[in-house]
Amino acid sequence: MILDIISAVLILLGGVLSLAAALGLLRFGDLLSRMHASAKPQILGLLMVAVAIAIQYPAWSTVTTLAIVISFQLVTIPVATHMVGRAGYRTKHLRRSMLYRDELAEAVDRAEAREAAWERRKGIGTDHNDG
Amino acid sequence: MSQIVLDTLVVMASVLLASSAIIALYRIVRGPSILDRMIATDVVLASIMCGLGGFMALSGRTDLLPVLIVLAMLGFVGSVSVSRYVSKSDSMTPGAEVGSLSDFSSSDWHMPKESADGAEGHSDTETRQQAQSSVGEEWPDDVARGISDVADGPDAITVQEDEEPVTVGLDQGTDPGAVADPSAEPSVDPDADPEAQGEGLGTGPDSGPEDSDDGERTGPETDDDEGGRR
Repeated sequence: MILDIISAVLILLGGVLSLAAALGLLRFGDLLSRMHASAKPQILGLLMVAVAIAIQYPAWSTVTTLAIVISFQLVTIPVATHMVGRAGYRTKHLRRSMLYRDELAEAVDRAEAREAAWERRKGIGTDHNDG
Repeated sequence: MSQIVLDTLVVMASVLLASSAIIALYRIVRGPSILDRMIATDVVLASIMCGLGGFMALSGRTDLLPVLIVLAMLGFVGSVSVSRYVSKSDSMTPGAEVGSLSDFSSSDWHMPKESADGAEGHSDTETRQQAQSSVGEEWPDDVARGISDVADGPDAITVQEDEEPVTVGLDQGTDPGAVADPSAEPSVDPDADPEAQGEGLGTGPDSGPEDSDDGERTGPETDDDEGGRR
């Protein structure tokens, strides 16, 4: 019975995290803040629910399947979040006035300068070959 | 007694999960861009996974565990594919954020200046302009430069907000990718500007700092892959 209550408390904590993510989606202002809010139940809430399942049914098959689920989430959620943030940066879905530092802008400037230098060099090279 | 406690906990957890799914659905309906909708879809999916896990823990249906794996893979594939193929043309629903939540979220999107923001934008920007001018007088010169060297200091906010007239915003509101004329936009943000023009023009070589490092880089390597010019 104690284990039942513990697992119910863990499920409740998963629900609390999910509600926190939803409220963050509702209240926050731009894409990056919403991404920050929405990453909570995807890993931590699911981890708590998985611990609840493992408490209730401590068999090897259950625990290993839960480990597969959790490790899959741990691998894929940062990749997906990185992709979403990158697409948001490219298409300017973020508000630059809320950023204190934009370190990616420096990298983008450097890459564009390098690419411009390379294309100019390539143009000069073909002219040289032609003449 | 403990049965009552258990039932109370379960009912509270289900209410929390249902309300979080409903709030995330509101963000899906209302979200200004497709990426916001994608994040809200992920939250809906996460709450579905938590609810399914709770159901498994309480009712013993551990045969539903592969469904959790399928849902996790579904969320990953969905968000990656949507964010891979998102483009600048499907920007935002126009005027979705105007006055919806608060001034915390309705003020300045960097992207397409929302055209419905015009009427109350004027008085707002005028007051902020006065405030910003007084701030600019009282700082010494090097301190002000130091603030503006920090990528977005407190005065970069006001500079960005008040130097863009609403007419330019109306011009940009229809097509966000057509910022081809650099004279048409008045000096938005010192470090965002060349990058914005470069992406607006579509190609690299006529943008930004071209004569910084010519000599040593020869190869065609780019840190930044092809996503910048889609």
